[in-house]
Amino acid sequence: MDLHYTTAQDEFRAEARAWLEANVPGQPLPSFDTAEGFAQHRLWERKMYDAKWSAVSWPVEYGGRGADYISWLIFEEEYYQSGAPGRVGQNGIFLLGPTIMEVGTQEQKTAYLPSMASGDVVWAQAWSEPNAGSDLASIAATAVRDGDEWVLNGQKIWASRAAWADWCFGIFRTDPAASRHKGLTFFLMPLNSPGITVRPIAQLDGDTGFAEIFFDDVRVPDANILGELNKGWSVAMATAGFERGVSLRSPARFTEAAARLVTLWRTHADKADTTLADAVTDVWIQAEGYKLHTYMTVTHMLDGGTIGAEASLNKIFWSELDVRIHELALQILGPEAERIDGPFERWVDGFLFSLSGPIYAGSNEIQRNIIADRVLNLPKGA
Amino acid sequence: MRFAFTTEQREFAAALRALLANEFPASALREVWDSGTGFSAPLWEQLGDMGVLGAMMAEADGGLGMRPIDTVLLFVELGRAAVPGPIIEHVAVAGPALSGTPYAAGVADGSTMVTTALGGSPYVAHASAAALILNDNGVLSGYAVTPVEGIDGGRLLGVVSGGTIDDLVFDAMAARLRGSLAAAAYLVGISEHMISVAADYARVREQFGKPIGSFQAVKHLMSDALLKVEFAKPALFKAAWGLSVGDGTAALDVSMAKALASEAAYRTSRNTMQVHGAIGYTWEADLHLYMKKAWALQRAWGDAPSHRRIVRQHVLGI
Repeated sequence: MDLHYTTAQDEFRAEARAWLEANVPGQPLPSFDTAEGFAQHRLWERKMYDAKWSAVSWPVEYGGRGADYISWLIFEEEYYQSGAPGRVGQNGIFLLGPTIMEVGTQEQKTAYLPSMASGDVVWAQAWSEPNAGSDLASIAATAVRDGDEWVLNGQKIWASRAAWADWCFGIFRTDPAASRHKGLTFFLMPLNSPGITVRPIAQLDGDTGFAEIFFDDVRVPDANILGELNKGWSVAMATAGFERGVSLRSPARFTEAAARLVTLWRTHADKADTTLADAVTDVWIQAEGYKLHTYMTVTHMLDGGTIGAEASLNKIFWSELDVRIHELALQILGPEAERIDGPFERWVDGFLFSLSGPIYAGSNEIQRNIIADRVLNLPKGA
Repeated sequence: MRFAFTTEQREFAAALRALLANEFPASALREVWDSGTGFSAPLWEQLGDMGVLGAMMAEADGGLGMRPIDTVLLFVELGRAAVPGPIIEHVAVAGPALSGTPYAAGVADGSTMVTTALGGSPYVAHASAAALILNDNGVLSGYAVTPVEGIDGGRLLGVVSGGTIDDLVFDAMAARLRGSLAAAAYLVGISEHMISVAADYARVREQFGKPIGSFQAVKHLMSDALLKVEFAKPALFKAAWGLSVGDGTAALDVSMAKALASEAAYRTSRNTMQVHGAIGYTWEADLHLYMKKAWALQRAWGDAPSHRRIVRQHVLGI
């Protein structure tokens, strides 16, 4: 064990920090769940791509730097510390991209990865349906073969970024005779395909971060299937592993938020309230614990290991930590926490957003079931 | 940056785990409770033969010259079996402090059992089992023990009086840190054992015609316990590394580790007892032998609130 960074890692950190200092916008961009904010965030993704920072862990030929996981974590630490904008391309870069690299054809890698890294194509996730939320395997949307094309029908919902995204990745039932997890296939398609209607949904914060997507005889070529026909569930679970595991929510987000909470405590909290001070200390410890857990996990992955159901532990941990950090911030802010327009807007917005964490990417109740079933080998439920 | 143990470190721990699984099942621990001795003489001897008792002492003293990072997984295994007696005190705390002293050879091979009185409690754990007590002034011998009844039959308590002190200058702060770290590791191991026992029970105990482990309410109790334990481990391992290399934040890391491990062990004891239902509230079920050790050690070597206050001082300055 050696928890010191190497000279090369220190140099990489310095390079990332210098670029971010020179390039991060001085003023926060509008929310990427608004039309104006989405466009500005797309330009930011392009700027990062031009300097090869948008997907540092990707291979060089697709626009990355071929950096290992440790370097990626270092970049993330610098990224969040710099106050850089949120990643509008995250569904693609952190979820679909790694999945394409794992199961995609060479043609698909060439076709989709560079434009994903550059922000030219922003991806939305189209998995859930009105009757397939936590019970994702009960998907009803269908794809029927017609020559070398497929005809898609059905409704998706809670599709993140779909209001302004360019393409989506979704799961459709291709073999109606097969049961549940079997007979599903993973498709990629442009959101401006004829027959697609996107209806944005206002979130708790009023922004339209997700949407319904209606498919009405949408024609998609055979080449747009990712992975094998009728094997969409295992492809989706690979994506979900990235989502719940280390890639989407790197620890830097939470160590940075915990550090901001400490600053807020210094400037605004009642110092005589040691219960509050202990609670702030506790989330600081939890954020450090999450960071250390991630470093241990990526070392395991660098040694050729994989993360399976353990990713569900991560998902519960970071989502509950994020809620706790923001609850404490609002407690410190007192009456100011009721304002959503003031100098503390980021904390109030962050609180609302944190509340989605225990729900999206598979509710935390489902994650607890997964841990019990697949890590602790308890008998499957009804 | 490499956050993983060496093959050697893992293999030593695996060998100890195998030994304890064979030689020290719950029935053996129960015998120790029933005997009233607070430790197992045959097990102590086997641990001495394996080198565990002198693991952290200098090789010149007959020890293995191991650092905290080399032994932290051993303490996880000692905890998994809830090994009774002054295993933390002897191996992690007193052993290194007594390296190079006339006591060293006997401590390294285990023929002289040492406990410690550095924790600030009026009750000294394992005083009746041990021949020597390391306290802030030095090494106490020939003392009298007035027993008090403790909750853990593998950790006998007593009030110590009299005896002869042999003055010894040693780094008591470092000794306490090693004790807190070893206790944190032991708590992780005991927690993993409690989870394993409760999972076994949930697989076989049936209600409503199904194993209770198939019910979500039971699954979630189990997952929540595992979550706490899994997120205590990296902090524990970092602290072990920090103490070994003299990292600047090692003391802080030990406090984080002990706070997280203490809370994980307590939560695990509660949840696994709940999974057991009424049988978990009995003397007959083995679970309580482990829960009670967890309850004792969550407070020994600093409880979670006191360690969190140390971190608070660092983070918030109050």
